Amino acid sequence: MTRLRVSADIGGTFTDIVLLDGEGRLRTKKVSSTVGDYATAIVQGLAEALAEGGLDAGAVEEVLHATTVASNAILEQKGARTGLITTRGFRDVLEIRTLRMPRLYDLAWEKPPALVERRLRHEVTERIAVDGTVRVPLDEAEVEAAVKALLAEGVQAIAVCLIHAYANPAHEKRVGEIVRALAPEVTLCLSHEVLPERKEYERTSTTVINAYVRPIFEQYLARLTAELGKGGVSAPVLIMQSNGGLMGAAEATERPVHAVESGPAAGVIGARALARQAGLPRVISFDMGGTTAKAGVIEAYEVSRASEYAVGAGIMVGSRLLTGAGYLLKVPAIDLAEVGAGGGSIIRVDAGGALQVGPESAGAHPGPVCYGRGNMQPTVTDANLVLGYLNPHALVGGALAVDAAKARAALEERVAKPLGLPVEQAAWGAHAIAASNMIRAIKAVTSERGRDPRSFALVAFGGNGPLFAAGMAASLGMRRIIVPPSAGVFSAVGLLCSDVEVHLTRTWRRPTQGLDAGALQAACAMLEAEARARLAADGFPPERQDITRSAQLRYQGQSFELTVPVPAEGDVATRLEEAFGAEHERTYGHRAGAGEPVEVVALQVLGRGVPERPRMPERLMAGTEGPPQPPRAAYFGAAAGWIETPVLRRSDFAALRPGPCIIEEYDATCLVPPGARAVLDAFGNIVIEL
Amino acid sequence: MSDRSYDPIAFELFKNALFSIADEMALTVHRTTYSAVLKDNMDYSTAFCDGQGRLVAQGLTLPSHLGSIPEALAAVIRRYGDDMADGDIFALNDPFEGGMHLPDIFVFRPIFVDGQRLAFAATICHHTDVGGRVAGSNASDSTEIYQEGLRIAPMRIYERGRPNETFFLFLERNVRVPDKVMGDLRAQLAACTIAERAFRELVGQHGAERTRFFMEELLDYSERLTRAALADLPDGEWSFEDNIDDDGVDLGKPIPLRVKVTKRGDGITVDWTGSSPQVKGAINSTFSFTRSASYCAIRSVLPAGIPNNEGYFRAIEVIAPPGTITHAVLPAACAARGLTGFRMVDTMFGALALMLPDRVGAAGDGGNTGVSIGGYDATRRPFIYVDFTCGAWGGRPWADGLDGNSHMFANMACPSIEVTEAEQPIEILCYELLPGRAGAGRFRGGVPFAREYRMLEDSGVLQVRSDRRVYPPFGLYGGQPGAPSRNAILRDGAWAELPSKFCVEFRKGDVFRHELAGGGGWGDPRERDPALVLRDLRAGLLGAEAARRDYGVVLTPCGSAVDGAATAAARAAMPRRSAAIVRGAEDAA
Repeated sequence: MTRLRVSADIGGTFTDIVLLDGEGRLRTKKVSSTVGDYATAIVQGLAEALAEGGLDAGAVEEVLHATTVASNAILEQKGARTGLITTRGFRDVLEIRTLRMPRLYDLAWEKPPALVERRLRHEVTERIAVDGTVRVPLDEAEVEAAVKALLAEGVQAIAVCLIHAYANPAHEKRVGEIVRALAPEVTLCLSHEVLPERKEYERTSTTVINAYVRPIFEQYLARLTAELGKGGVSAPVLIMQSNGGLMGAAEATERPVHAVESGPAAGVIGARALARQAGLPRVISFDMGGTTAKAGVIEAYEVSRASEYAVGAGIMVGSRLLTGAGYLLKVPAIDLAEVGAGGGSIIRVDAGGALQVGPESAGAHPGPVCYGRGNMQPTVTDANLVLGYLNPHALVGGALAVDAAKARAALEERVAKPLGLPVEQAAWGAHAIAASNMIRAIKAVTSERGRDPRSFALVAFGGNGPLFAAGMAASLGMRRIIVPPSAGVFSAVGLLCSDVEVHLTRTWRRPTQGLDAGALQAACAMLEAEARARLAADGFPPERQDITRSAQLRYQGQSFELTVPVPAEGDVATRLEEAFGAEHERTYGHRAGAGEPVEVVALQVLGRGVPERPRMPERLMAGTEGPPQPPRAAYFGAAAGWIETPVLRRSDFAALRPGPCIIEEYDATCLVPPGARAVLDAFGNIVIEL
Repeated sequence: MSDRSYDPIAFELFKNALFSIADEMALTVHRTTYSAVLKDNMDYSTAFCDGQGRLVAQGLTLPSHLGSIPEALAAVIRRYGDDMADGDIFALNDPFEGGMHLPDIFVFRPIFVDGQRLAFAATICHHTDVGGRVAGSNASDSTEIYQEGLRIAPMRIYERGRPNETFFLFLERNVRVPDKVMGDLRAQLAACTIAERAFRELVGQHGAERTRFFMEELLDYSERLTRAALADLPDGEWSFEDNIDDDGVDLGKPIPLRVKVTKRGDGITVDWTGSSPQVKGAINSTFSFTRSASYCAIRSVLPAGIPNNEGYFRAIEVIAPPGTITHAVLPAACAARGLTGFRMVDTMFGALALMLPDRVGAAGDGGNTGVSIGGYDATRRPFIYVDFTCGAWGGRPWADGLDGNSHMFANMACPSIEVTEAEQPIEILCYELLPGRAGAGRFRGGVPFAREYRMLEDSGVLQVRSDRRVYPPFGLYGGQPGAPSRNAILRDGAWAELPSKFCVEFRKGDVFRHELAGGGGWGDPRERDPALVLRDLRAGLLGAEAARRDYGVVLTPCGSAVDGAATAAARAAMPRRSAAIVRGAEDAA
């Protein structure tokens, strides 16, 4: 019996299911997401995919899952009723946030409401000092009163975050014992366990989010497992973390805070697998769907991670400088830059006479003008249709009919006429401007970090990514674009490439001058022991545990750290300083003199469970291809004009072909512009060379 | 638009690229800076100017720097003219020759392409200390500029890539925390270098001629957008007056700010004539800062998407007579002029609320309180803690004022308490919202917060600049003013009240408490949804007595629901409140 690995990626509109068999054959299924009860779509979609392939549910050996359950609970304020216990004087840390707002000059700004309302935030008398000493002892009677008051309010979860608890958790532990004794059934999250790091707002916010989503996540996983079981699938369910690693269901239930941004992470992990397979150490992943586009970076075959992010901030923020949107989570996450540009982005001419694309979006409903669902404002997809890039009759393998004439009329009326341009030039301009907006996302993860995008290859996926990739790559001076098989469901494919990972971070602040290397290694060893224990619990024996140690450093007085590996031997302090200085120079273009004091701020351990056999086959084979399509006229700017362009299938690229050509697939359309060349590589990827 | 003689698409692409360079500069400063005032308060800005010194693109940074760059760069050009070369870098901070106040050091790097000066990269950073009599160089009780620190006239600090050692040594020896100041200056220089590299690439793509043309067009484009938006606003003339309590020197002497906003067609004039003569205390504003405040307020009632550059300024005329607090002249002290800027923005919002009653709200807490704690530890190492804080907005015509949100004029973040305690000899005892202080209204003002700081070193100096003690944040259209601010010190077991601006010795164990003023309310409090009154009550932000007195909301005996009948009766007995501007109890009816 062939072994099957299954992945499921829930998105706002579609749930993507991918089945991979032992021979490397991919079967994909796109079903509508069942909002409110996401498990149903997965179970149904999986059943259909199995039936279509004549496959047995019992052959499924693992189910890998990226889910929006946690982020939706936060964004829709539908998490568990949660109480917070905190140090006297700091009841409002969660609500005051950092004071900053993500938009300048906006009198109508509203802060996202606190996930724990003020009446459910209780203070207790106690205080730990910055060095961990007890300045004011814990008043246990107040703790009891607070817990009872919260129970009377019917809370399902209690978060505890006391000032400096990372330095000395004694008071938090005692509060935890009292909560356990009085309310054993309530979900309890202690800040020093969720995030043993300095900065009270970040720690409070992260702990509260964990408590807020945990009951929801627990129920969801239980239901999903049960429903899968009914369908004959008894394989373990592994959950994608925001950091790109998988975690077991038990761990996910304990720390759902790590699974909040799991879908976007999966795509980058897929791009990393592709990079490793193709021998490309430096890759930019570019994922463009209907409303947003996301860019991530892979260097030395490894993803880059951010230490914090905000849920729901995404496209509200025009620049990475503007923080304060969404809900802050200080957990490692794959570093993604997101811009509000997608197929649904609206094209208009502003009062100053300039052509603008987005950030307003027609979304999936009503969607672009060509969908004929009532939207009259032209979108990026409408422009692509006018340009001849998209199939003029239907998208998604024929499932979605489009009206090209309507799209053209809207673009003519609202954009071309006011600008005094022919309609195809207006559409061409909109396409170019959408690309330039998305280039900002790529710059955010490259040139803004001192990386030159020209030394990277671009891996493009998502429904619209392969349509824009070549044009964007050209303006960034990039030479090579790779479009993987099943590009439109590539995040689900990425899940199949991921490993079980444990990421641990601990505040450990010491100057590098006079650093006690033994103490540093001992602190790392403690983290490592915990990481190994968790991996063992997920079924990885010691010989299949891979551990890396790193440290976050900065010049004393700075507040942003850079991460460098911890050397196993030698003069640890000097080697850390040198690695940090080099990274600072690379990232920011300058470094301080040799005498400048450097400090270690935190230590990190990443534990990886090494799978028994390679997770991915040598070569992926996507499903069957549709019938051949006739060529059509496509427009490539004033100089090239309209060109009769062949419409091809992936298999047509066995030999190198010159652009222009269009590759139409079930889940995505890819554009090879004039002057470029494309060929299929040994792994089934289309490789476009500029 | 059909008469356009250039490619609108190439223009849009150019504009995106240029603004992304300005933002990239800002990120470089943000990530590599040393001092809290830069990394947390983000008290810095980055920009791009054309070869003539006109501001073309300002990064998304501090609104209070909006109008400052053109003036500063003009001062450099006045002094050096064409005597500039590739690799030169210029700096200044003198408020009377292009600067704003001494802590703000401007850095400009001219960019040459084929021997022609095509642009300037610009950064401004508020430095932690530039010397002078009080640590932090921002005391409000200095009475002349000479007390405030090192004055840097427009000066060449790099000549063809070589640092001017005289300048750097001079600076280093005259500031209290040279490691921070030099580190931050390094971040400014790095940002300019990054900008230069990126701009050269852009010129490589477009050519020098088209780059020059597009920069010019970018100004015209902003002007067109601004004028189109202004044309949509009503014509007329609106005046407003607000007061700063005092300047911290002439205690109890109010300082009036008067503005007249005149809108005709597609232009607008902001006239500060009639405001107080310049004062002894250090809250005098430069003309450039007054322009920033005026631009910021108008920007807030225009649609988003207008690029920040001189084209936007062209549609706005700002008048401020020299010798007044809105246009100080030598030897005025101006270190703490931030306060005046915030109050000018509030005054502007007052006038704009009369112009656009459904779009602009009541006054917030008054703009940020500055707290500086400085001194030397037992080993004579200096420490300086500088915190600027604000957080309560005024009630708005459609919603309550925000609680715990920065002022429009300076989108600042608060430093973490745990980080502050790790880096400074200070313990923060509380940081919490204060009940009963928000101005009542159909939409109440923002709830202010309190902070307490305990000194852990033997001794130091505590310097505070606050306001809104005598003149609380005004309410609008029947909304009530917010509660005034408060300062107090706990010493030897007893609390003592302090004035709004002061400088005192801060001893080990002393606790300083600051309470922000509450935001002003908007609309008749009797019209407030009783459910919202109940919500605030149960959140502990409002007492039952105040709910009844200020809102006429009566609770059922169990206290968990609104008694509808009793509330209706109580409200019927309350006076109708509708005065357009409510500054104190006497205006309330």
